[in-house]
Amino acid sequence: MNDAMVRIPRRTLLIALGALAAVLLVFALVATGVVARAADASTVASPAVLKTQQSAAERDVERAYEQAVAQVKKVRALNLAISAAQADTIAAKALNDLKLLRHSGLVSLGTVLGVTGADAESGAAATEQRFDQTPLTAQPAASPVLLAPRLYAVVARMSELATQLSDRATTELTAPAATPAPTTAPSPSRTPTPSASPSARP
Amino acid sequence: MRPATRRFVAFWLIVPALLGAVFASALDPRALPFTGHEQLSAVFLLDGQAYFGHLEDVPWSGTITLRDVYYFEDASKVASELPIALVKRGGELHQPVDVIRIRRDKVLVVERVTLDSAVGQAIAAQRSLDRVAK
Repeated sequence: MNDAMVRIPRRTLLIALGALAAVLLVFALVATGVVARAADASTVASPAVLKTQQSAAERDVERAYEQAVAQVKKVRALNLAISAAQADTIAAKALNDLKLLRHSGLVSLGTVLGVTGADAESGAAATEQRFDQTPLTAQPAASPVLLAPRLYAVVARMSELATQLSDRATTELTAPAATPAPTTAPSPSRTPTPSASPSARP
Repeated sequence: MRPATRRFVAFWLIVPALLGAVFASALDPRALPFTGHEQLSAVFLLDGQAYFGHLEDVPWSGTITLRDVYYFEDASKVASELPIALVKRGGELHQPVDVIRIRRDKVLVVERVTLDSAVGQAIAAQRSLDRVAK
């Protein structure tokens, strides 16, 4: 009895195995994402885009500063229970803190953008001066820019701290007037004496 | 290499690869690999969340993979020009690696992000700043 046999030349078998191995290799490279990662480029921003991002971030820092300052000034303008001297002290301290915070925020932006040391300080001072001369409210509205996450982190922190400072100043400014603490020691009752002038207290 | 082997390789490997490349470039030339064009994708999920990054979509897998991932965050309480912000994945409390796998059945839309868009420019700026930080 003769069995049917298919004779495959060794060379054909080797080529077929080679092709199969190549297909499996391509399959593995595609499935693991190696090809995609090797083929995909990563774009970086042009200097113009970075400048746009920097300007937008500086505007955001300034906006947080101006909003907080406006809140402090608005509350200071109210009739407050505390004395005018106390209110002035609290408002002045808050405004000074906000100015320092803005400076710190602008220096942080410079650091993120690769400017360090004295250059970052001088850059921040120049930006502050520019905004002091022309506040955002006096400038035409710029087109909104979606910030890079690193720049947004600085802006978000600046905004959070500015809100905290202005809220704390508001709380202190609107606090009730301080009253003398009651003494626990017994004291002899005073004899009421007539007063010639009307009492200031109701 | 023998002529027969050369013919075999040319017919079964090189010609199909070239045909596939030409066909792909007819659809979108920037989709060709190793051309230097970045391919950013936006993946919108059924729950409204959107992720941006480099997409690896293998047809036979039940998930799609995103690398170099960014997403939107509410910024309405921040004094910024836009009520949303772009955040890079990896800074969360559990500091995940920069790869996410998304179940295919949760995906609503996958779109290509143009590099000149606001998202594309913000991601490019982030990369520049990352290089500065290194």
